[in-house]
Amino acid sequence: MTMILEKILSPGKKERKVTDNMRRHIQLLCAACDLFRTAMEKDDRNLMRDVIDLEREGDSIRREIISLIYEGAFLPYLRPDLCRYVEIVDNVFDVLGDTAPYYLDGKIPEQIKSECIRIAYFNSKICEMLLITFEAMLKGDDLREKTLAIRIYEKKIDDIKFSLIRDIHKIPISNFWDGKILSEFISGLSAISDIIEEASDHLQIINLSMK
Amino acid sequence: MWKVLSSVLMGWSLGANNFANIFGTGVATGAIKYGTAMFLSVVFVLFGSLLEGPKCMETVGELSTLLTIEAFYCLLASGITMTILTYLAIPTSTSQAIIGAIVGAGILSGSADFSKLFKIIICWLVTPIGAIVLAYFLHRSLRYVLDKTITNITHLNYLYSTGIILAGCYSAYTLGSNNVATVTGVYVGSGFLSAGMASLIGGLSIALGVITYGKKVMITVGKEIAPLDPFSALVTILATAFTLHIFTQIGVPVSSSQAIVGAVVGVGIVGGLRTVSAKVVTKITVGWFMTPLSAGILTVLFIKLLV
Amino acid sequence: MKIQELMTTKIESVDSDKTVYDAIEKMVDRRIRALMVRFPEEKLNHGIITARDIVFKVLAKSLNPKDILVSEIASKPAVCIDKNMDLNEAASIMEKKNIARIFVCDSEQIIGVIALIDIMTGALIMRARGDHDS
Repeated sequence: MTMILEKILSPGKKERKVTDNMRRHIQLLCAACDLFRTAMEKDDRNLMRDVIDLEREGDSIRREIISLIYEGAFLPYLRPDLCRYVEIVDNVFDVLGDTAPYYLDGKIPEQIKSECIRIAYFNSKICEMLLITFEAMLKGDDLREKTLAIRIYEKKIDDIKFSLIRDIHKIPISNFWDGKILSEFISGLSAISDIIEEASDHLQIINLSMK
Repeated sequence: MWKVLSSVLMGWSLGANNFANIFGTGVATGAIKYGTAMFLSVVFVLFGSLLEGPKCMETVGELSTLLTIEAFYCLLASGITMTILTYLAIPTSTSQAIIGAIVGAGILSGSADFSKLFKIIICWLVTPIGAIVLAYFLHRSLRYVLDKTITNITHLNYLYSTGIILAGCYSAYTLGSNNVATVTGVYVGSGFLSAGMASLIGGLSIALGVITYGKKVMITVGKEIAPLDPFSALVTILATAFTLHIFTQIGVPVSSSQAIVGAVVGVGIVGGLRTVSAKVVTKITVGWFMTPLSAGILTVLFIKLLV
Repeated sequence: MKIQELMTTKIESVDSDKTVYDAIEKMVDRRIRALMVRFPEEKLNHGIITARDIVFKVLAKSLNPKDILVSEIASKPAVCIDKNMDLNEAASIMEKKNIARIFVCDSEQIIGVIALIDIMTGALIMRARGDHDS
């Protein structure tokens, strides 16, 4: 009974906490993507290690959000979709955190370095777009243009990946493990945009379920 | 005074069966918990019974001129009919059962007022249709207004949550006001109870049904209630309640089950879905005939054999 | 958005003395609709051959692509715009010359190519960003 009174008298407090944290979550992701790109541009291994730290921070924000939701924020009808969305964003953190070590372990060949940096640059851009889409979702705006923009970025990255994979055949690999590390690095780098696209689809689902 | 027990049985049955119609969609969507729904239902059913319950009692009481003992058998027959049909999973309505019973008794004693019966039957037919139309237009217009005013999801979330709670209270109120007449109205007609007493006893027995058996029925019926989004849940509750309230003003007790079926269909039509399945229509039609018929026949049997 | 953000830096090219068939093959493999044409004697001047050229000037005329050289149907010199040019200006040049893509130059060097689809997606992204920035 007290829950009901709480809900009526201080409307939206719990929900605001959840959305504030979700915003923090994406902002942190954008920072991580930016950091990743800078680390590559400057070949700064310390910065790359910081990316891994940011993954851990992202994880704790995720746990915070989920527990806030199940403490009673939002209608139960919405909760699974919100949680699913947060998990997907967390996936991106995971991939970033998994890809960074590959950079540290291996050496990115000069021939493909600039293309990899371009992918990292677009990863930052697509992440910013996700934040914009999130804010629009909160306001209840139509998300179509924003999700299209995300798909555009994803296609661009896909195209770069396609040409990268072709170019990579020309690079001599001295041993299997070097090749594997490089391959994993490229896979991870290009997976990020796919997952962010999935996240934006989920924002659309949340957007529609309130209508 | 023991005759009152038959009313209590009817009221209990009504409460148990109709609790799902009041808060069912709200609980299904998670906007409110069983316990809270029960508490609010009890309070507002009582309000409804006491404040506007007597409006329908006149129709019920004057359908036939009955002796108190005949009234007793009417209630008993109705109660038994309801129980059996519920067991057979055929949707029943207390209004239809008791009216059937009263007409049965009236035919026996030759005092049945068929013009009143005609009015009642028209109202029964209009109930689901009216609910469909009401729900459809409520959905469209409210959606339009909301899209232009409140779109922020936190605000919408709050609106739906409180909306469903308030709508449920209104729904409980209209259930009490419209249907309490079916529970104790006959006794008012036969002079056994005053309208006020009838409202009180009726309201309390409905409340009893809600508390003791309501949850169980809601869980079973809940499977048939489509997982509605919170907005549609809100609209169905409001449409159902409003339909009942209108018929209360007209003075005829109607079926809240049929009203909510209509409301759900009305909301479904907004999505362009033709959710009027032949199965649902058949079920409703069967209920329409079987309920008053069986109650009437049973009453005739009781009175003939036992009076 | 700037032209440099939208342009493609990877430019596929074909030598002018190759056949149109070679050009078709390359376009199919690379999933693109135009190739920069390199003229062996000229280091700086380049041309362009597009799918349009191939279809209208060769295939639709039932000519054998293996018999025709790239140099015979390529457009030369390829139109180039400065990397600092305004997006709308670039679009109007493309409209005037009725071309779907245009090279981007930094002084005399070709550094990229920008197509109508790039301008279109760029415009969409700007719309989606709204008042956030450009």
